[in-house]
Amino acid sequence: MHDRSILLVEDNPDDEALTRRALAKNNIQNEIILARDGAEALDWLFGTGPHTGRPAVPELVLLDLKLPKVDGLEVLRRIRANPNTRLLPVVILTSSREERDVVTGYGLGANSYIRKPVDFGQFVEAVRQLGLYWLVLNEPPPHPDAA
Amino acid sequence: MRGYVITGDTTYLGPYQSARRTLSSRLAGLRGLTSDNPAQQRRLDSLETLVATRLERFQWTIDTRRTGGLAAAGRAMIGGRGKELIQQVHEVVTGMEDDEERLLAQRSATLQARARVARLAAWSGALLAIILAVVAGALITRELAGRRRAERTLGETQRRFQQMLASSTAVIYANAVSGATFSPTWVSENVTRITGYGPDEPLQPTWWLDNLHPDDRARVLAEMATEYRFRGKDGAYHWVHDEARLLRDAAGKPTEVVGSWVDITDRRRAEVSLRASEERLRLLVGSVRDYAIYMLDPEGHVRSWNVGARQIKGYTESEILGQHFSRFYTPEDVAAEKPAAALRAAVASGRFEEENWRLRKDGSRFWADVVITAVRDDRGALVGFAKVTRDLTERKRAEQALRASEEQLRQYATQLEAANKELEAFSYSVSHDLRAPLRSLDGFSQALLEDYHDRLDDTGRDFLQRVRAASQRMGTLIDDLLSLSRVTRGGLQVTEVNLSALATALAAELQRSDPQRDVRFAIAPDLVARGDPGLMRIVLQNLLGNAWKFTGKRSPARVEVGSMAHDGGRAFFVQDDGAGFDMAHAAKLFGAFQRLHASDEFPGSGIGLATVQRIIHRHGGQVWAEGTPGRGATFYFTL
Repeated sequence: MHDRSILLVEDNPDDEALTRRALAKNNIQNEIILARDGAEALDWLFGTGPHTGRPAVPELVLLDLKLPKVDGLEVLRRIRANPNTRLLPVVILTSSREERDVVTGYGLGANSYIRKPVDFGQFVEAVRQLGLYWLVLNEPPPHPDAA
Repeated sequence: MRGYVITGDTTYLGPYQSARRTLSSRLAGLRGLTSDNPAQQRRLDSLETLVATRLERFQWTIDTRRTGGLAAAGRAMIGGRGKELIQQVHEVVTGMEDDEERLLAQRSATLQARARVARLAAWSGALLAIILAVVAGALITRELAGRRRAERTLGETQRRFQQMLASSTAVIYANAVSGATFSPTWVSENVTRITGYGPDEPLQPTWWLDNLHPDDRARVLAEMATEYRFRGKDGAYHWVHDEARLLRDAAGKPTEVVGSWVDITDRRRAEVSLRASEERLRLLVGSVRDYAIYMLDPEGHVRSWNVGARQIKGYTESEILGQHFSRFYTPEDVAAEKPAAALRAAVASGRFEEENWRLRKDGSRFWADVVITAVRDDRGALVGFAKVTRDLTERKRAEQALRASEEQLRQYATQLEAANKELEAFSYSVSHDLRAPLRSLDGFSQALLEDYHDRLDDTGRDFLQRVRAASQRMGTLIDDLLSLSRVTRGGLQVTEVNLSALATALAAELQRSDPQRDVRFAIAPDLVARGDPGLMRIVLQNLLGNAWKFTGKRSPARVEVGSMAHDGGRAFFVQDDGAGFDMAHAAKLFGAFQRLHASDEFPGSGIGLATVQRIIHRHGGQVWAEGTPGRGATFYFTL
């Protein structure tokens, strides 16, 4: 079952606040599950560690790349390696547009790559579009449990 | 008598007168001798009559000549009975002679009986003589047979000798010696084959001297040189080798010179050519300065020395000849018996080669490249060693220096690589981390403006707007810096790039970004260059972006993209009729963060042209600009 939540993987509290604000400004009401680093994100997704037996089944993952402990690309790799999360929509939302990050990100199966603009107005616009696309327009893949 | 008749000279009558006087006494003598024989007496009578008649006729003839002259006397002689008378006299005398012989035969028979005893004795003597003659004959016959055999043998020998001479390449000759003069007496027939002269010519007294080469004459005569040039019948000179021997008689007096004479032109030519080649080799080896080239005897003693050897090792020829070559080795190599080992190796495999330290005369060491080659004679016996040594000290040093600088270069490369990695990490970090605070600055300023709008006055809102503008400018700066650093990283993917198509696409993009602007692009077709397509895009993006930007105050504006001949190749250019610049500041154009215009007039980071320059330089090209304030600018680049 989708709980229509969004897993936000973000270590920077400022970015977290701005992202929440941008989502709110766009009236995206979905529950935000926050993970401060890659390990925490994986615990949430795989029901491990503190979240043993209670895996989150988000509708969308907003993934930063530069993270403590397990970085974003590694998180993506493990999401795609796990049958339960294999089809989960993952949008990379990060500061960098370093070519190697973009290439590796898509290579590992990212569904989108969005660079956070400095201009907050532009950021709000970006979040609006991605929310509209992934949470409204896009038909999510069926959850493995439901299949 | 006849003389008188013909000439009339009376002296011819002398014999007649004296014969007439002695005739009567001779007839009287005959009468006395034949007195015991009457038949002879009778014949004498008639003879006397006949003689008297003949005498009368002679007297008549004489008288006729005296009185009648020659013609009358001739007639008297022819017409007289002279002949008839002489015939009668002859018959009488013959009769007398026959008679006397008959008498003699009778008397001889008587005598033979008496001589028989004496004859027997004579026959015995004759028999003895015959026996002796037979013996002598036998002896002579045997002697003759021996001589014939000897002659046959001699003939055979001579025939063989002739054949031998004919097929020989040596001409055999003999000269008789008389005092100081020589005269040719014999020469073998092959002289014709060898010299072309006929068989008799060589026997001419001056033949040899005439054909002796004038330049060799003095030498041959004075020094008795055995090799000289001799002119053949065809006029060409041949080298000949002449071996002569003087034969003397028992008293020691020179009698004959015999000798042989061989054409050695071919050998001589080969010798000359060999000598020339040896001389060339000697000169060559002698003049080689960069290589020590010398010979060792089989035991390793120095036998020859060249300039290069002196130069490299420091010994003069007189110092080193006869010395053992081990003195060129370092003491430790000598202790390790390396010199002997080197010769053994050269003998075993023909050649020994090594690079090692060697000693100079002054004791200093040099790095030598040494080749030792065993030298053998025709039969394979070792006659010594040829040794070639090169001083590679300089090369060794250069190699060491090269190795050192290579090592240094490796260190630099490592450092550079580390620096690059650091730069990359830095860029990555900048890309991620430097922008995040800017987002916070901008984002929360915006939040303040939105959420606390009513609590802020205009000044407060203006300040927050300035914070936001600064944050955003900083964001752009960071992006530009990152793109500048990106163009220096990564490899170039050089392919053919259609600059016309690229410029056209970029111009369209610019038009879309600000449809209000009236900018007319004139892009030459078929501008093709070889370069990295991604970087070429950045170059044109910057140049066209600048042209777009700096023509912002002009409408309509014109931007031209084209190429022109430059320095044997082609230069591309982007020209605009915008703000332009003062050429005095042209040098600053391409430096990072250099700006020629106030940012409120034409915004920008001042990194675009620095990026362009870096890309062009990475392609090995050049970039430069021309401009006039208010009249526009042209940027050129080559690739």
